[in-house]
Amino acid sequence: MMDTLEIRFSGSGGQGLILAARILAAALVAQGRNVAQSQSYEPVSRGGLSRSDLVISDGEADFPLGGGLDYLLVLDSAAANASDALLGEKSVVLVDAELVPDPPKGAFSTRALPFAETARQLGNRRVANIVALGALAGSGPICDNTALEACLRDMAPAKYADLNVEAFRAGQRLVA
Amino acid sequence: MTQRRNLQGNEACALGAIRAGCRFFAGYPITPSSEVAEAMARELPRVGGTFIQMEDEIASMGAVVGASMGGVKAMTATSGPGFSLKQENLGYACGAEVPCVIVNVMRGGPSTGMPTRPSQGDIMQTRWGTHGDHSIIVLAPASVAEAYSETIRAVNLSETLRVPVVVLLDEVVGHLVETVDLDAIPAGAEVWRKFATGPREGFEPYAVTDDLVPPMPRPGDGYRSHTTGLTHGPSGFPTQVPDQARAAIQRLSDKLDLHREAIESYRTRAIEDAEVLIVAIGITARAAQAAVTDLRAQGVRAGLFRPVTLWPFPEQALRDTVENSGARAVIVPEMNQGQMVLEVERLLAGRAEVHRLNRIDGEVIAPAQIARKAIEVLA
Repeated sequence: MMDTLEIRFSGSGGQGLILAARILAAALVAQGRNVAQSQSYEPVSRGGLSRSDLVISDGEADFPLGGGLDYLLVLDSAAANASDALLGEKSVVLVDAELVPDPPKGAFSTRALPFAETARQLGNRRVANIVALGALAGSGPICDNTALEACLRDMAPAKYADLNVEAFRAGQRLVA
Repeated sequence: MTQRRNLQGNEACALGAIRAGCRFFAGYPITPSSEVAEAMARELPRVGGTFIQMEDEIASMGAVVGASMGGVKAMTATSGPGFSLKQENLGYACGAEVPCVIVNVMRGGPSTGMPTRPSQGDIMQTRWGTHGDHSIIVLAPASVAEAYSETIRAVNLSETLRVPVVVLLDEVVGHLVETVDLDAIPAGAEVWRKFATGPREGFEPYAVTDDLVPPMPRPGDGYRSHTTGLTHGPSGFPTQVPDQARAAIQRLSDKLDLHREAIESYRTRAIEDAEVLIVAIGITARAAQAAVTDLRAQGVRAGLFRPVTLWPFPEQALRDTVENSGARAVIVPEMNQGQMVLEVERLLAGRAEVHRLNRIDGEVIAPAQIARKAIEVLA
């Protein structure tokens, strides 16, 4: 029996946050866990505050939305302080070092990591979401990497499969 | 081998409808309901069904009514502004007793409101959106598994009772993805409307039967039939003769009263000794579940009454729950300015204090808000 775990992916619309959350959710189900994934976005195709929450439990969660985050990813300054009320001492916050110059501050651990820069070095800034997913997966006992890479190959566009796996591993190295 | 998978609430509605035998969908995409149409467009052709994207919501509802009269189980899906547009044809389906299912995923209103934000502002519109005395069934799932099972029940109820059924989701439940095993959800046997049998001569399309549900002629079976939105007696032809008009309108509500037991559904949690009872639907009921657990852990005797059938409201069940638990306070949290609370106040008239907890800013009501309110009203 594992505890309930809450993870939020947040940033700006178009960064692929919801896709990253869906990939993690699929990998967790493959490992036998129960997932509730919710999302919030604005009525624009790009930009605006966007987030997706995962509540990971063993049965159907009473309340399927985030209430006290274990992990928070912030990929854009638009989301920098949007989750402050859900952070506590146990929270681990990972922010993009370049795009979130003013990260949340409080009695929790915050790490600024070069998601966007790593993606650019890999040749495609759009894989920053997967770099961040790799860093998240490397930050704690969340999900098995093999299951995650399988879902990543399965759910992201086929022609970017190798690049995505590379991005995922690069993200893991950022927190190794 | 179980088939556990992550499924979205909107997609679950589509799959539930297909599981129940729905083979026609006409719609016009609108946030936050579009995934119902997307899933139907993908899945219906695989089972020999028909998907049509219509020019607007009015035509969508018209196509659904026509398809059902043609002998196919039919559904549409929409959200606030589209649901408003569907009201005229929905009323026709109520009056002419045409089985059909309408999924309405609630977003912030009025008007185009807040397309991507959740709301429960259509609770009264689902009951009284179309004009005139009419009967309608509204089911309100609170999870992805229930979006599937309640859409199956919606199709079945609409068929057996010849009445439009609304499946009412809020944006959160519609877009929520949860792990489900559809094979583990009992779907029951497929249910069809009662088709007309017997002599063609003297056939009456709106005959008054014991169950108050007139058998429907199947197109091609040779029954002469007339269908109209005008008030009609057993013959199906318009009438304004007072006795006939009264009987025709009365039968529509008597029909649902007669079958109330099959229609009503509700769930409870920790009600036996509840001092404070929370009455909620949809995502607000999920928050209330967490609040009840938290309150009990603090020694506060809280319970939950969750209508799954929103309309007709499970009246006696709520009264009995309050009576038997001895609850002295009732809280009705809802993402609107106070709609379901009106029904709860009416039903409990003096049996318990009824308190409101409302939110209209496009955010969900959190478990902690409900717990705070419970402690406040008991103080």
